[in-house]
Amino acid sequence: MQSKSADLTFLRRTNAELIAILAVCAIFFVVPVLLNNDYLLNKVARYLVLGILAMSLSLSWGYAGILNLGQAMSFGLGSYAMAMTLKLKTVPVHTGPQGLPDFMVWNNVTQLPWFWWPFESQAFAILAGIAIPAAVAAALGWFMFRGRVTGVYVAIITLAAMVVLNLVIIDQQQYTGGFNGITDLAQLELFGIAFDAYGRSTYYLVTICMTVALLVAYAFTRTKAGLIIQAIRDHESRVRYFGYDVGAYQIAAFALSAAIAGLAGMIYTIVMEFASPTFLGVQLSLSVVVWCAVGGRQSLLGALLGAILVAGVQGALSESATFLETWTLVMGGLFVLIVLFLPKGLAGLVASLWALIRQRPLRSVRGVHRIEQTETGA
Amino acid sequence: MKLTRRQLLKNTAAFGAFASTGFPHIWIKNADLAAAAAGEIKVGVLFSLTGTTAIIEESLNKATLLAIEEINAAGGIKGMKIVPVVEDPASDPATFADKARKLVVGDKCVSVFGSYTSASRKAVLPVFERQHNLYWYPTLYEGRECSKNVIYTGAVPNQQQDEFIPWLINKFGKKFYLIGSNYIYPKEENNYCKKLLQKHGGEVVAEEYVPLGHSEFSSVINKFKSTQPNVIFSTVVGDSVVALHRQYHAAGLDPEKMPMASLTTSENEIAAMGGEAAAGHFTSAPYFMVYQSPENEKFVAAYKKRWGADKVTHFVSEACYFQVHLFKQAVEKLAVSDITPPNIRDAVKGQETLAPQGKVRIEPENLHTWLWPKIAQAQSDGQFKILVQAKDWLKPLPYAAYPGQVCSENGLVVQN
Amino acid sequence: MDQLIQQFLTGLSIGSILLLVAMGLSIIYGAMGIINLAHGEFVMLGAYAAWFLQVQFGMGLLISLVPIFLLVAAFGWLIERFVLSFLNNRPLDTILATWGVGIMLQQAVRLTAGGELRYVKMPEALSNSTAILGVQISLYRVFLLVASLVLFAATWLLMNRTTVGMKLRAIIQDRPVAASFGVNARRIYGLTFAYGAGLAGLAGALVSPLKSVSPEMGTGYVIDAFMVVVLGGVQSLIGTVASAFILGELSGVIAFLQNDTVAKAIVLLAIVVLIRFRPQGMFATRVRA
Repeated sequence: MQSKSADLTFLRRTNAELIAILAVCAIFFVVPVLLNNDYLLNKVARYLVLGILAMSLSLSWGYAGILNLGQAMSFGLGSYAMAMTLKLKTVPVHTGPQGLPDFMVWNNVTQLPWFWWPFESQAFAILAGIAIPAAVAAALGWFMFRGRVTGVYVAIITLAAMVVLNLVIIDQQQYTGGFNGITDLAQLELFGIAFDAYGRSTYYLVTICMTVALLVAYAFTRTKAGLIIQAIRDHESRVRYFGYDVGAYQIAAFALSAAIAGLAGMIYTIVMEFASPTFLGVQLSLSVVVWCAVGGRQSLLGALLGAILVAGVQGALSESATFLETWTLVMGGLFVLIVLFLPKGLAGLVASLWALIRQRPLRSVRGVHRIEQTETGA
Repeated sequence: MKLTRRQLLKNTAAFGAFASTGFPHIWIKNADLAAAAAGEIKVGVLFSLTGTTAIIEESLNKATLLAIEEINAAGGIKGMKIVPVVEDPASDPATFADKARKLVVGDKCVSVFGSYTSASRKAVLPVFERQHNLYWYPTLYEGRECSKNVIYTGAVPNQQQDEFIPWLINKFGKKFYLIGSNYIYPKEENNYCKKLLQKHGGEVVAEEYVPLGHSEFSSVINKFKSTQPNVIFSTVVGDSVVALHRQYHAAGLDPEKMPMASLTTSENEIAAMGGEAAAGHFTSAPYFMVYQSPENEKFVAAYKKRWGADKVTHFVSEACYFQVHLFKQAVEKLAVSDITPPNIRDAVKGQETLAPQGKVRIEPENLHTWLWPKIAQAQSDGQFKILVQAKDWLKPLPYAAYPGQVCSENGLVVQN
Repeated sequence: MDQLIQQFLTGLSIGSILLLVAMGLSIIYGAMGIINLAHGEFVMLGAYAAWFLQVQFGMGLLISLVPIFLLVAAFGWLIERFVLSFLNNRPLDTILATWGVGIMLQQAVRLTAGGELRYVKMPEALSNSTAILGVQISLYRVFLLVASLVLFAATWLLMNRTTVGMKLRAIIQDRPVAASFGVNARRIYGLTFAYGAGLAGLAGALVSPLKSVSPEMGTGYVIDAFMVVVLGGVQSLIGTVASAFILGELSGVIAFLQNDTVAKAIVLLAIVVLIRFRPQGMFATRVRA
């Protein structure tokens, strides 16, 4: 019967994606064996973290239809949480009495502010790095989605919220390190392992987090809530007429996306050895959107790989002698071409090729009939 | 959606264009450097070529490269050429830290010349201290630092302000309005300034900080008008200097009654803001382009010949220039197999060279530099007129504002 | 009292600069629904054009305004034709495409004109200050205020009293029906985008004597301009004017009392709250269901 074969195809596609995810993660686990250079390993780890960030945005944008132009805010909150706890572990290298971060000393602060106290505990910081971005996102989501704000306005509000946080952090230099960010951090120590930014331990930490995040996100998309979210993306009012609390689902997806971004932020601090307000910046946030678009916003794996690819190429081009001057120009141009001709990103290209190989018309994925992108924008 | 052949061709073409950038030979960084033959000394050059402080940092890049080229043309150091690895950190401290890591860990440079803002120096400092490398910092800064991995060739507050503040109080009056960019350098300089004002009977009318790169000063100028200070002590940097001066001028304020006194406004910023906006304001620094000395004539001529007749030199680019020569002198003292950052640091202690401003010396205690402070007034032709010159060179005291703390050869010593 | 007037005038000045920059964006976004992140780069192009004309041909700022408008409008037309026309039903993708174009423009300018700050001379006649209501204010800022209002008037006339404007309004209301009346939407969109870009270029040229000209100068303006447009209400020119001046005054006052960073943060927060409760902005165009 048709439904049975549809079920089987559904199952086959599900397994295909899961296998792809596990395969990619396995490949990245093997990289240190092939790559013996500390510095390059750190670089790859960095690109992986950015990949996780892009993947979190694809959850929010590709699956839930919420274009979060302030995704970097969750990322930055996570990175600052980790930076604060690692800073408090440092033996002061520069002037300063015991326990006060050096930038507070320079700013003539005499006492540790109250919101720094809980970060003495590493466990708290790790929890906070995930919980605080999620909570902030949930609050922002409640503010927006309960008011049924959609589309462009969501983008604008999320962008504005991030810019405000950025400005506050830069302004309150004495408590946050301001424009400099928080530098000179101790190494994270977990289960007896010290995570040196250039060592294999950090790299494996990153790959483990990446695998976990991917699987969690993937699992979410396969649950009923995940399906409903995608339905909301396609046609919000219809889902509302069915009686679902659309706002609640949107908030949930938004918060999950933020939690993953927060996790990415925490490991980014470990990889980069500092936290900076640029991690909450417009530049990074827009870059994440770009990576997502390139990789394919409706594919978790696509977004991840897209980020790694673009950030990698960007990094390589900016350091090559030939392209030192022109790399931004080239990137901008390539990006415009992709937006114009590859709207579904590279994942879409892969899907097209796959369909071509199997000589089948490309049906909408996951059995849910997807409405073609309309004026409301997908 | 039916996949048509046309669709596939279009997609693949786009993808192919994209993927072609992946060919290794066009993006492996300086492959010739990775396999550098012995006989080359790799140094990093870390100044912003883009972004809000690029206005001044790109001239620092040029001065450093000029010095390196001169040394190489004269045979290099002990027959070995200096190979500069240039990176652009785009005026962002986070990128500074990142590029520093690349230069030190990835490229294995024996020294790095870099930084203008203190924010960027603080951001890269952990890299140099952890990796035991050496950073040569040419910019005037706020002091209060005693790192054994940095050679400081710029002026510290006692060298810039000790004579400047009393002179300003004498000439113009006691009321000072402190305005700076919002980061550590202006804050510490203002800390020191307030101490000096207290000592000499001055008074702080207001203290304000604007974001880096800020350019809308109408509210600030309104505050100038309402508080009527005698001197505006400005520590804004980069683009903000230009905007502040131009808007001050457009608002009709008078530099003879309410001059701006700055530690950062140089020939570079004056070129960007135009002579009329610059004229009448004061700067205190160890070097000005108009300074008469044989070394300076040579330096200015060489710089203009290399980079363009319309270019200017200023107190930070002069430091970039002479610090490379000090680097050369230090390395010459070492055996070829001993060229490591810690050895270079030990070799440069006490070294002297004849810089365009006069003879300078690296103080072994704190790795700062003995300099010749001057006070000058900007003219409408874009140059300065030197009004006051120090009779003797001044010892750098990075902790002058903090009695009880001294930067000694073994590190910071806190005496109670 | 003096201080109050001073503050009021400052707010007007900041508002007029905001209006100059936001007007072009308002047309483009309001009329075409295109989120143009390259708007800041159009402003930057105008400023560089002013510098270039000054340095190469010795043209004063005022004379060069017309060629600058045409130049940047031409750029805008090209971008609309070769990039945006492919993105008809994908409004959110216009964010990405225009951002990519913006990066390219920025870098292209950096490569050709160099990354250093450039200097545009203020016109001699406007370099002094004058007294208004007993308070000194820069003559140039007064000129900017007048210029912004003149441009607004011109734009309004264009939209509401010319055939082209009428066709544009028809397309905004209902594109297929307008097309069936023989209105060539393609051409009108191209002209509209070009006009919006030209306005941005003018804004850049006019503002350049007060600040400095650098390749990155545009990025700061984009977000501010968007906030103005969203607050004022999409598709409402009057809304744009009102919100520009309101935001200008607000920023000025808060900056005076606190500092500029706090001012910006508070203004953004206010806008966020407003959008939440009234997404159509202050002046919503009444649309028939």
